[in-house]
Amino acid sequence: MDNDVLMKVGNLSKKYRMGEITVNALQEVSFEIKEGEFVVILGPSGSGKSTLLNILGGMDKPSTGEVLLRDEKITDYSDKELTNYRRDKVGFVFQFYNLMANLTSKENVELATEICEGPMDIDEILVDVGLGERKEHFPSQMSGGEQQRVAIARAVAKNPLLLLCDEPTGALDFQTGISILSLLNKINKQYNKTIIIITHNSPIANMGDRIIKMRSGKIIENSVNPNPIEPERIVW
Amino acid sequence: MKRLDLRLLRLIKNSKGQFIAITILVIVGLTIYTALSTAIVNLEDTLNYYYDEKNFAHIFVQSTKIPESALNKVKKINGVKEVEGRVVFDIKMESDNSDEKVKARIVSISDNSSINKLHIVDGNEIETKNKDAIVIEQFANARNIKINDTIKPYIEGRIFDLRVSGISASPEYVYLMEDEQSLLPMPDKFGIIFVSEEFARQNFGFKDSFNEILITVKDKEHMDRIKDQVENELDQYGIKRIYDRDDQLSNRMVTEEIIGVKQMSSTIPVIFLGVAAVIIAAMLSRMVRNDRMSIGVLKALGYSNMSILIHYTKFSILIGLIGSIFGVILGTILSSSMAKLYAQFFNIPMLKFKLYYGYMFTAISLSITFCTIAGIWGARRVLKILPAESMRPEPPKQGGRVFLDKATIIWKRLSFSWKMVLRNIFRNKKRFLFISSGIAMTFAITLMPSVLNDASKDMFDSHYSEFQKMEYNINFNVPLSINTVNEIKHIIDVERIEPKIEFPFEIVYGNSKMATNIIGLSSNTEFYGFKNMNGQSIDLPSEGIVLSEGLARFIGVQKGDKIKIKTFIPNKDDVYVEVKDIIKQSLGTNGYMNIETMSNELLNKNLITGVYIDSSDDVKGKLENVKNISSIQSLQDMRAVFEEFMGLMMASISMMILFAGILGFAIVYNSTVMNIAERRLEFSSLRVMGFSKHQIFKIITKENAVMTVFGIILGIPLGQFMMSSLEKTFSIELYTIDMSPTLSSYIITAVITIVFVVIAQLATYKKINKLDFIEALKNRIS
Ligand SMILES: Nc1ncnc2c1ncn2[C@@H]1O[C@H](COP(=O)(O)OP(=O)(O)O)[C@@H](O)[C@H]1O
Ligand SMILES: [Mg+2]
Repeated sequence: MDNDVLMKVGNLSKKYRMGEITVNALQEVSFEIKEGEFVVILGPSGSGKSTLLNILGGMDKPSTGEVLLRDEKITDYSDKELTNYRRDKVGFVFQFYNLMANLTSKENVELATEICEGPMDIDEILVDVGLGERKEHFPSQMSGGEQQRVAIARAVAKNPLLLLCDEPTGALDFQTGISILSLLNKINKQYNKTIIIITHNSPIANMGDRIIKMRSGKIIENSVNPNPIEPERIVW
Repeated sequence: MKRLDLRLLRLIKNSKGQFIAITILVIVGLTIYTALSTAIVNLEDTLNYYYDEKNFAHIFVQSTKIPESALNKVKKINGVKEVEGRVVFDIKMESDNSDEKVKARIVSISDNSSINKLHIVDGNEIETKNKDAIVIEQFANARNIKINDTIKPYIEGRIFDLRVSGISASPEYVYLMEDEQSLLPMPDKFGIIFVSEEFARQNFGFKDSFNEILITVKDKEHMDRIKDQVENELDQYGIKRIYDRDDQLSNRMVTEEIIGVKQMSSTIPVIFLGVAAVIIAAMLSRMVRNDRMSIGVLKALGYSNMSILIHYTKFSILIGLIGSIFGVILGTILSSSMAKLYAQFFNIPMLKFKLYYGYMFTAISLSITFCTIAGIWGARRVLKILPAESMRPEPPKQGGRVFLDKATIIWKRLSFSWKMVLRNIFRNKKRFLFISSGIAMTFAITLMPSVLNDASKDMFDSHYSEFQKMEYNINFNVPLSINTVNEIKHIIDVERIEPKIEFPFEIVYGNSKMATNIIGLSSNTEFYGFKNMNGQSIDLPSEGIVLSEGLARFIGVQKGDKIKIKTFIPNKDDVYVEVKDIIKQSLGTNGYMNIETMSNELLNKNLITGVYIDSSDDVKGKLENVKNISSIQSLQDMRAVFEEFMGLMMASISMMILFAGILGFAIVYNSTVMNIAERRLEFSSLRVMGFSKHQIFKIITKENAVMTVFGIILGIPLGQFMMSSLEKTFSIELYTIDMSPTLSSYIITAVITIVFVVIAQLATYKKINKLDFIEALKNRIS
């Protein structure tokens, strides 16, 4: 395996059984991600993006196939190992931020860092995501964009190998969405973090180093983008 | 502090009303547990210490006359430690108020008495042997008798003037009751007067003899053998009764009370903790359900199942911990005053008090165990939440019609808001059932005291007007000839008079036995209305015996069994008779036989021990001083006794109502608040749609009304079930409580339940008022 390959996905399939019907949410998906890449997974709603991301993040298990993180085969992990994997190796950002309502933004970040190994400096990160002044605010006192910044800080502060973002701009207006994307871009560059973001919004894909297009549980295109554009120049 | 714990604390702060309500349940439960257990075990210790200190007799023998010389024979029996004789007679007291009937038991004491020693609390021992007396403390207090006062007993037709030299407590009369038939102590109507042996012997005609013997034994193991040997030894002197400490009236009553309190001290806390546990489990399970997404996030962040489960369980552990600490502290503070109160109530003149750390430990571990199990049970769904799943918005609830829509005729007539209410209820059947069962439980618990109140009233009515119907119950000093009936008829005008025999025997069946009075009645008696267990009236059979239900239950006999009647009368053998039926009798335990059969088989012919009378004549006035009449009880007397008994009963009922109230309110409050908290989003949407707070409140009120009605309907069978189990625990051998709720107790209970719902409702009104609907809709934060 190449030294700079961070993650390798091989023949990954996921079937959901709902009574009589079987939904093939993922069908024989294979690809590789390099260290430090900014990956955008693009596809219409229902194409299996979240399913894929959840498996990569150790939140779900595939029906068949394997996922390797460096040399570790996370698809063979026990539940306990998966918990440790989520704790130390990955950071999640969700569409609806999902902060703890009764913890302040700083406390929300601390919630993540106090159980993991080698976290980053929280105050520094909060300043980096532009929330230096809002450390003591509760989620209900912040806008959606601000909440998403907290969520990103929470994911980054763990110092994970991989940042997984499921439609991070899905619930935000255009302007706020762009600012979140440029924050992620900054984190990718500044901390050299590998980031995978999911979107159904094709203009966003242009900012990725690698663009993976999905349809009906399959990868229909996996391409390296020679000229990623700045998030500020995205329009939709 | 860990962030997760911080989150928990803020969760608690947000639901502090509920948290406090549940914690109070735990506190009340454990306060009762610690206070009662500690008090009662100390009382038991004290009682045993008192008995030891005063050398309380192990065996008691009552006879007509036993010569002093026979005592030596008893003393020689293997295992007997000490033997003492005494003279005991029940007499009337002269009272300033001629309507009042005061009785006393004269008990002789000798200078060197070593058994049943007195505990003089005021004054001195007897100084002048034929002038002085010592009065029992309860009687002295009730009648305001002081040292050097003069008391006037009637002895053998003569009034004596005795000087009170001392006031004393006695281990034999800790619970001062005249006999088994009395309902409760009446210290102003019946007392004990201790006189010198010389005085008693001289005035009752007992030269060199006694009519009671007290025995202590070396080893309690051999009690039964010793009793049998004593009986053989003294048979020729005519033993009336021989019994041991377990059957000694005062000791038995105290022991029964202690058992009762012990039972209470274990059941009440379990009820409270049980209810708290149910609420905790329900509350946590709802909390976990609402926190589905947060739990998913925690799992995504790498928190393990165990740590999340513990996170929620800490909520209940905290309740258990805080509740038990406060409960144990309060209980410990209360326990010594409770013990004092009990010691006072039972007239135990001393108190050995110490703390029992075991009970504190049990209380704390009990509470934490209950709460932890409830917490884990309630939060167990945490384990099932899959992180990937939880991020997915829950599929929308199925809308559409409820089955009521189909009943078009009714449906069309309903207003819009009623339709909405009914749809809500039918769509959330689980929640509906939860709240309704909470209300049902409240109803059932509140029903208890109300029914108990009715039951005790009924007990009196059924006993004194349906079961016993005589206006007067007259007892003779000694068995008299049947002709006495005619003599009485000459003295007073009677509407009806019937002879009776009432005599103590021991009834034996298998290994169980019980000393009780068997009553012989005329075959066509109109003074008793016997009903069998199916409620059908029956006649007194000419052969065999019928037993009261308490007695039958105690010795475990059924209709058709043969029992042994053990007699203490000299030259009479034990008799075997068939139990012809078992009858309902709420107060006391007795056997009943045909008077002729009874005198033929058990006694000497044609002797009776009393009569029952209906008369509008001045029965008391005319018969009072007639020779050989020892007591005249009128219905009025019994009523007075009962009223006092009711007073005591009411006090404990009010306590129970208070407890039921705390429980009921906690249940209703918690379920209503949970209901609101869970539906923030729904109410917010309604607000956005233009509903006013008032309208939303009205919808909730209607929902609650439907649930309350449903809950009360559910509560009726639940309450009946609880009643029947309570009936079994409350009915002891001395009385049997029939607890079938009346309509009025149902209504009162329903009203109380509704009041609880309304108060809880008001608390929720505040929550709706504070509901910031914009915020609830804006953020799908969890
Ligand atoms: N738990 C589940 N049970 C059944 N079907 C599911 C489940 N999760 C996802 N699916 C189905 O799998 C497919 C892919 O879903 P998802 O990965 O969420 O798509 P995307 O994120 O691209 O919108 C969809 O058809 C969805 O309905
Ligand atoms: Mg998705």
